[in-house]
Amino acid sequence: MQNRFLPYLLTLPSLLLAAVVIFWPVWDLIQISTHDVNRFGQLRELNDFANFSALAADPDFIAALWRTGQWTVLVVGGALLLSIPVAMILNTDFYGRGIARVIIMLPWAVSLTMTAVVWRWALSGESGMLNSALIGLGLIDHNIQWLASAETAFPMQVLIGILVTVPFTTTIFLGGLSSIPDDLYEAAALEGATPLQQFREITFPLLKPFINIAIVLNTIYVFNSFPIIWVMTQGGPANSTDILVTHLYKLAFRIGKLGEASAVSLVMFAILLVFTMIYVRLAMREQRA
Amino acid sequence: MSLAKWTVGLMAGMSMLAFAAQANAGEVRVTVAEYSAKTGPYFDSVKKEFEAANPGITVKFEVVPWDVLLQKLTTDITAGTNADLSIIGTRWLIDFVQQGVAEPLDSYITPDFKGRFIDTFLSPSIMEGKTYGLPIAASARAMYYNKELFEKAGIANPPANWTELQEDARKIKALGSGTFGFGLQGKEIETDVYYYYAMWSYGTEILNKDGTSGLGTPGALEAAKLYKSMIDEGLTEPGVTSNNREDVQNLFKQGKVGMMITAPFLSNQIKDEAPNLKYGVAAIPAGPTGARGTYGVTDSIIMFKNSKNKDEAWKLLDFLFTKEQRAKFTQGEGFLPVNKEEAKMDYYVNNADLAAFTALLPDARFAPIIPGWEEVAQITSDAMQKIYLGGDPEAGLKDAAAKANAVLKK
Repeated sequence: MQNRFLPYLLTLPSLLLAAVVIFWPVWDLIQISTHDVNRFGQLRELNDFANFSALAADPDFIAALWRTGQWTVLVVGGALLLSIPVAMILNTDFYGRGIARVIIMLPWAVSLTMTAVVWRWALSGESGMLNSALIGLGLIDHNIQWLASAETAFPMQVLIGILVTVPFTTTIFLGGLSSIPDDLYEAAALEGATPLQQFREITFPLLKPFINIAIVLNTIYVFNSFPIIWVMTQGGPANSTDILVTHLYKLAFRIGKLGEASAVSLVMFAILLVFTMIYVRLAMREQRA
Repeated sequence: MSLAKWTVGLMAGMSMLAFAAQANAGEVRVTVAEYSAKTGPYFDSVKKEFEAANPGITVKFEVVPWDVLLQKLTTDITAGTNADLSIIGTRWLIDFVQQGVAEPLDSYITPDFKGRFIDTFLSPSIMEGKTYGLPIAASARAMYYNKELFEKAGIANPPANWTELQEDARKIKALGSGTFGFGLQGKEIETDVYYYYAMWSYGTEILNKDGTSGLGTPGALEAAKLYKSMIDEGLTEPGVTSNNREDVQNLFKQGKVGMMITAPFLSNQIKDEAPNLKYGVAAIPAGPTGARGTYGVTDSIIMFKNSKNKDEAWKLLDFLFTKEQRAKFTQGEGFLPVNKEEAKMDYYVNNADLAAFTALLPDARFAPIIPGWEEVAQITSDAMQKIYLGGDPEAGLKDAAAKANAVLKK
């Protein structure tokens, strides 16, 4: 008897916490998004999902949705590709490894908003550091207006997104790499395996669970990431760098359409939930096989 | 178990928050916008002086950055934890009035109190015959020009109209060495307003007489074409859509921009940051018919309907709008005087910069008092950014006018 209820009892506190910080806001969002609501969040009558149909008819929302996909795939993918070699290098024993690890981790220690503010200055057209550096190196002969249009602003935002995602991803991979026993490599080397073969046959397969967790966690963080894009362009010019969170913020707090903003937020929640469930399923099945 | 502890801790923390949010008797909470680094210290001194003069009343100022003010008020009001008084943009006032959040102040206002104000600035806070707010900050826009660049380029006087402005900009551009004729703002707050300066000169108003958007009129198109041609010709700073108001002001302070249109507070900033810059302030250029317009802005301080300390709050308002307090605040922040007696002070009478602004007040337009104004402004800003980036002005404005009209019809 005691054994059957004990697990539930033990998870009860965290379930309560989850209820307060997750279920309650989601319930509130559902309420707001299905009602006619004024700009101060006071509910009026139910409105037959008018907030959702308004979204479907809004080209800015569709564009932001599509751009959020690009943003997430590029930042998460880029961070993964960069973090694997970085983690492997940091895992080898070399002089000054401690310092190198600290340098890689540093961007993580600075607040995301501050990083974005610094980059906004650095990318300023007339007085930015990047332009003076590039001109000094002779790579360009006139100032590039980085943030003036989406063609240059969005790629820069993706690069900065990758930069700030690398430390966390590297940390996960370093943990994974240190769990791979050295004798595997020694045995492989004795059998004459090249470093590339060692990577393909030992490192990569054993790192896979860590890559999976990095993909899931990073996707959730990056999908919801607000500061980089907001600080640098506020989703502009003319909404051309908007992702769903910045679109949502403008809807809610600039224009005062709390109902539509809550609907966006629920759509985001649903996308992430479905993604995570599918991905975790796939990853688990692979591991079992 | 640690999670349970956390839960208990969280609950305890939340109940403390709830407790803290409850107003004590005799306490007046005020949400104020942070206009500059001087705002906080000013309200600290108000607290000291007011509390000394009114024993039994304590005042609590919450200084909030301007950018997040509306967001804070929205969440506070939703949660019912708003202060007793708050500074708001007067253009938001209609929403507060329609939703029954703002308290009319007429029962407190004596004719003598009303007589303190300059009517131009008080009238935007009056709705349906009732006064819902008092103008705590007032501002208008005028054109700053760099006298040194003008001299170098051989220009004697600031331009009187847009044609002259274009010629002057050409001359300044010809000086080379990274100087730009006209600073054009193309990003963030007031991007739409920067376009209205030209639009008003061509005789178009934000709203037509029938209440539809003015963006569809020929005047609006002329104005958009004017700015676009200046961008194409290289008469503005490059990368217009990456420069917000502060960016353009910084270029002006660095002496890189010949002319720009902005608020009186730039004079204060120049005094502190670029004291050697030689500049002048002139009227906004006129259009072909001589029409011109400047943007008038007031921020209002309002009383919330759910305030429990209305009488105490009114005492504070009465104190804030005395001549001495007004002068201290207005001069520190670089705003225009809203108090008649204050406006007669030597500081304002002998100030050439401010004289240029006050001279423009008869041409001042305030943001239209309509629900959904923020959305119309956003639509206009977006349309302008597209045009500044090379989009077709005619198609862009037609599209924006249709969108704006859809909002206005609601």
